[in-house]
Amino acid sequence: MTITTTDDYRERIWAELAKVARPDSRFHWDFSSFICDFEGSEKCADRVLELDAFKNRGDRQVFITPDNCLEDLRYKMIKAGVPFVMTTYGIIRGFYRLDPAKIPASDHRYAATLDGFDRYAEHLPLATLKCSRPFALLVTGGSAVSSNGVRFGKGHGYFDFEWAVLSELGLTDQFSVVADVVHDCQFVNEVMPAERHDVAVDWVVTPTRAMHIDQSNRQRGRVYWEMVPGTEFEHLGIVAELREILGLKPL
Amino acid sequence: MALASTGESEAVADDAPLYEKVRHRLTTLVLERSLSDASPLPTEPRLMEMFGVSRGTLRRAIDEMVRDGLLSAEQGRGTFVNQEERVRRVVWERLRDAARPDSRFDLDLHDFVPDFNGGEEATKRVVALTEWKSAGTIFCAPDNSVERLRLAAIRAGKKILVPTYGLRRGFVHLDGNKIDEADAKHAATLDGMEKYGRRLGPGDLRNVGAIDLLVTGATAVTSDGRHIGGGQRYLALEWMMMLQLGIVHSNVPVVAVVHECQVVDEMVEAQADCLLSHIATNARMIDVWSPATDSHSNPAKKLRRVR
Repeated sequence: MTITTTDDYRERIWAELAKVARPDSRFHWDFSSFICDFEGSEKCADRVLELDAFKNRGDRQVFITPDNCLEDLRYKMIKAGVPFVMTTYGIIRGFYRLDPAKIPASDHRYAATLDGFDRYAEHLPLATLKCSRPFALLVTGGSAVSSNGVRFGKGHGYFDFEWAVLSELGLTDQFSVVADVVHDCQFVNEVMPAERHDVAVDWVVTPTRAMHIDQSNRQRGRVYWEMVPGTEFEHLGIVAELREILGLKPL
Repeated sequence: MALASTGESEAVADDAPLYEKVRHRLTTLVLERSLSDASPLPTEPRLMEMFGVSRGTLRRAIDEMVRDGLLSAEQGRGTFVNQEERVRRVVWERLRDAARPDSRFDLDLHDFVPDFNGGEEATKRVVALTEWKSAGTIFCAPDNSVERLRLAAIRAGKKILVPTYGLRRGFVHLDGNKIDEADAKHAATLDGMEKYGRRLGPGDLRNVGAIDLLVTGATAVTSDGRHIGGGQRYLALEWMMMLQLGIVHSNVPVVAVVHECQVVDEMVEAQADCLLSHIATNARMIDVWSPATDSHSNPAKKLRRVR
């Protein structure tokens, strides 16, 4: 029996993905630097908006990562007048909230891009974010995802970290639903082991289907501080903010 | 603005190797020099004495600085400061407060040309130029400081030619007449432009027709019209391509949109290939030469003389 490592999967998936991917405006086809958009992501956006977690969110919030495959979802959210929380690329400048009420209709598409987002979004210091409602739905992209909802293959772990930070602020709970938007070729029909800081997802949404994965045993998210030093997260502003909120010494 | 002394903000840790500390001090010394000072650095024995280090440590520090472009060592003549790189370092430092972050690179100015506070005013100055008003097709660099000009051109029904970032996927040609107002802002971004324009390889460029005006950002400019890019010389390359294909003339107006702090007055022998006709900043418009009236009808020739 040959053992397929996650690296083998990544190579295979990236080769397939290249056929349907849309290049990034800065990183082109360098999939290690960004989560790409792909043909059919518009259908994924429609499926996400059909999820109960979105439709029945009540006064709870929605979080969307700055991944390219979610641009159309952001556009549709803006058009529908639904505010959402997002991070900047690489979480460098932390969390922002976009309120569609402040965006003229002519600028909806612009505001949905990473280039335009900044012009309308409002920075949320963690102390402000902490006082807001918990999240009903968190949507992310990814390199690849397994049948048990484990995301793998890119290695930066931004979403896992965002989830951990939001959880430390008490903004996720057993009702929070995580959806992973990927192309069908990024879905691997195999069970993968999860590391303790991995956030297994409740939904895998592709251009052709939405698959539910039971995560009722998901542990409460937390930041594993011992893993932070030496990573690109170490010097993020939100790390210092969070430690202050939690009453911890600076790293 | 004169290149006044500036400290390098990058701090060196106490436990850093000695050569790193020397590199840091020597960098500060180089950045504080007057730009007109083209003399070589002090001799090795003098520098060893100044820093109180061995020849090996000093050479290691200098080697590092040669590798990252700030110094160049010339056999038998000494070690010289690379002025263009020096200007970049000084201007990057100044830009910290004025630059607006990029959607990907944030404030890592080595990777992109930023938009800046007051970019709106600079844009207005460009749009008021006769050369802008009469231009049908405009080359717009993929620099963040000219995103507003890309938008203005699209709204005015002009055609624009935009290189993809780093020229990695050729050029994008957009026709303002074919873009709805609701899409204009999206089409003016690097993120959106490819959804509205045609992508062109170098071979298709000729079909674009004559370019009437070039607009670009810069890492720095000299007040006498030299463009200093991020170090990869994309503008020079693009200019050469367009010149060779005959879609620009050597006296086509070239406008740079920069923050006032990016303008340096000192003479820098930058390897710019197209001389700027105008420099629009948040504070003023500098008219370097006029394509309509300047007696130097071929500024590229003028530039070659100084190079």
